[in-house]
Amino acid sequence: MAGKASATPATYSPSPATRKGKPTIYKDGDRDWVRPDGRGFQQCRPAFFRTGAVNAASGSAYAEIGNTQVIVSVFGPRESKKAMMYSDVGRLNCNVSCTTFSTPIRGQDFDQGSDHKEYSSMLHKALEGAIILESFPKTTVDVFALVLESGGSDLPVIISCASLALADAGIMMYDLVASVSMSSLGSDLVIDPISEEESYQDGSLIISCMPSRYEVTQLTITGEWSTNKINEAMQVCLDACGKLGKIMRSCLKEATSATSE
Amino acid sequence: MTGLSVGEKLFIQGGIAQDLRTDGRKRLTYRPIYVETGVIPQANGSARVRLGGTDVIASVKAEIGRPSPMQPDKGKVAIYVSCSPTAAPMFEGRGDEELSAELSIALQRCLLGGKSGAGAGIDLSSLVVVEGKVCWDLYIDGLVVSSDGNLLDALGAAVKAALSNTGIPRVQVAADTTGEDQPEVDISDEEFLQFDTSNLPVIVTLTKVGRHYIVDATSEEESQMSSAVSISINRRGHTCGLSKRGGAGLDPSVILDMISVAKHVSEQLMNKLDSEISAAEAIEDDS
Amino acid sequence: MGLSNVVGDLSLEMEVDAFRRLFPLRFYERHLSESIRPDGRTLKSARDTSVALGAVASADGSALTKIGSTTMLAAAKMEVMTPSADAPDEGSIDCCFVAVEYYMPSICSPLVRPGRPAEIAPVISKQLYDTILSSGMIDLKELSLISGKAAWMVYLDIYCLDADGALFDAALLSAVAAFSHLRFPVVSLNDEGRLVMVPEEGNGDKSGKEVVNKEKRKLSLSSPPFSLTCALHKNYILADPTSEEEAVMETFVTVVLNSSGHLVSLYKPGGPVLTQTSVIQDCIALTRQRMKEVQEILDESISGMEID
Repeated sequence: MAGKASATPATYSPSPATRKGKPTIYKDGDRDWVRPDGRGFQQCRPAFFRTGAVNAASGSAYAEIGNTQVIVSVFGPRESKKAMMYSDVGRLNCNVSCTTFSTPIRGQDFDQGSDHKEYSSMLHKALEGAIILESFPKTTVDVFALVLESGGSDLPVIISCASLALADAGIMMYDLVASVSMSSLGSDLVIDPISEEESYQDGSLIISCMPSRYEVTQLTITGEWSTNKINEAMQVCLDACGKLGKIMRSCLKEATSATSE
Repeated sequence: MTGLSVGEKLFIQGGIAQDLRTDGRKRLTYRPIYVETGVIPQANGSARVRLGGTDVIASVKAEIGRPSPMQPDKGKVAIYVSCSPTAAPMFEGRGDEELSAELSIALQRCLLGGKSGAGAGIDLSSLVVVEGKVCWDLYIDGLVVSSDGNLLDALGAAVKAALSNTGIPRVQVAADTTGEDQPEVDISDEEFLQFDTSNLPVIVTLTKVGRHYIVDATSEEESQMSSAVSISINRRGHTCGLSKRGGAGLDPSVILDMISVAKHVSEQLMNKLDSEISAAEAIEDDS
Repeated sequence: MGLSNVVGDLSLEMEVDAFRRLFPLRFYERHLSESIRPDGRTLKSARDTSVALGAVASADGSALTKIGSTTMLAAAKMEVMTPSADAPDEGSIDCCFVAVEYYMPSICSPLVRPGRPAEIAPVISKQLYDTILSSGMIDLKELSLISGKAAWMVYLDIYCLDADGALFDAALLSAVAAFSHLRFPVVSLNDEGRLVMVPEEGNGDKSGKEVVNKEKRKLSLSSPPFSLTCALHKNYILADPTSEEEAVMETFVTVVLNSSGHLVSLYKPGGPVLTQTSVIQDCIALTRQRMKEVQEILDESISGMEID
């Protein structure tokens, strides 16, 4: 837009300056620090899921966990791109993008474009193990996610929401994929971190699993972890995934019972 | 890797099951590693690592830059990997983008630690010259010259070798600069500071074929994998990053088992790599 | 002639859904002759419309609107900027305090794919921008904070979450709704003479800094614009078409009226020529009716918010 282009150089965003020098939310050694939203260390935010958010798509789901809001649409199975070679199994194509207002500072993610390449490839890895690709040979299933508001633990919410959208689209899967992340802050582990906690984290662990099969489809760890800590974090996350899986399952059941009535 | 006959596939799988792989190795044996340092004279540090048929080059370039306002006490590191079309015909044009991005992200995850910078293999605060004003920007570039499996481990080793080969020039900061201005710096072309690489992790990728997992898979073996886990482990035996590839799900207990195996393997790999790096540097100094 | 006979025969045997996909035009013409539409509407009625204000917590003003299943999410964010020297109190055309951007992310429609943006998106973007500015809904002087030194810049971003026809109507409604929900953040002068945001909790008074904009916290919208898109096909006029109808029909007319009933803009993107001017008058009359409906819905959601 002409108006926008000429106006941008003159604007400045007042927020970043306030961030500097802000004290960290916890002190190492202080065992009694409280999380910004008052949750326990191993307590997840309440999760809300709804399928069928987008009518134009073959299947879709909306997820709201804390302030994190995500919509995922699934299109297909449909014709693969012309350039693609013949394949006797189906293809999965994932894309994650963000709205300009998803982060507190407008357009913060825009230096890398609104598409999130890293999230897209991680979403693909988390889902591909759960989908029965043999059930739609020669065709492609597109999974598109839009982060409406980013409030922390975005990727796990996208993954869980995407697996619900796939189920809504009737794509054959071995199981739903539930995903939970954990942040390591000093000597403490906090589950389902919000953005503020994520920005101070010393390490993170994101686990995606198929709860009924008790199989991990994707595991990503950053930062320095001892083996014991990994052990502990994985156990807590797997339990949380199990609970999240139940919520997702009940959401699907509600949707089908509502339509059959 | 396509074009394997059923017989060949079974041969690979059967060999792994019996702990005798097609090239005579055991499941947890690496191919011989060859390290060459100082291969690119223009760079501040560089190394070439060969692992069987896999051949990668890493280079480190240091430039003076400004720290980001969010983290005034830290330097910046950019890691980027590209795959040369000489390695495989499919890398021609934009064909390497996906793999390159994946390798870059995996390396970043392994070397740069968490968001707060804790557990990073490269100590970012050592790159600061004047807090908030001047710092070193490290550009670490990896190039895959020839590909025969296990690219990530080879790249990890090459980056480690390149960083230990890196000399960062000593910087004099002009004393008479006032608050707001960008201070003037004088970069010495004779004195170099050695980069501390003792904390750098090595990357061990365990590839699961059938019910067993192997280290240092060749691309033929990789074509038979169900999933692979890349774990980076530092000298203290702590995990510094982990990522999983491949579609099939894994039982959580298998992952924990893999981590402990990787820890064991990493010690041997780290010692082997260190001796190779010092041998390579000795040769470079002689010449 | 032969073809139509074949189709006629087939239509007796074929399932409705298959007929609809294979011969969409005939499917619709059959409906139109009965003065009914496949979703049960009469030709001149619009779909159910809803407005929810405050859908995005991090924005200064936001709204989620639905017309049928077409869904739009609009969010406005405010930033402080320095106005240009030649128009210290208000924006001129080349330096405006309002930026409007319309996005169609790939989730909204099977036709949009990543890396291949929808052609229609920049068109709607421009139309929205022109409509909002030319309607005079926003008094640009209200965006001035300190004359000549600081003014508000409003970024309005509209995302289409579900595309099912009448995109412009839904986008404009969401824009108007987001503007009516807009609340200016509190700002004060800091020591360096720059304006900074004061946190909502009202800590600003404690620090002794003067709040610059105490009274003026919202935009007073004067006669906001509303629009209706009508699909034209032969002699029929269909209000508020779905995407399926848009694909089949010959042409459209989009009429924008402001709430006083004055014509703001009229847009017809090519297609067959209109032989009668009465068609335009009919469209305007339909828009006038529709405007009352929509305004009621909007007022309801605004008053609902004020009670909270």
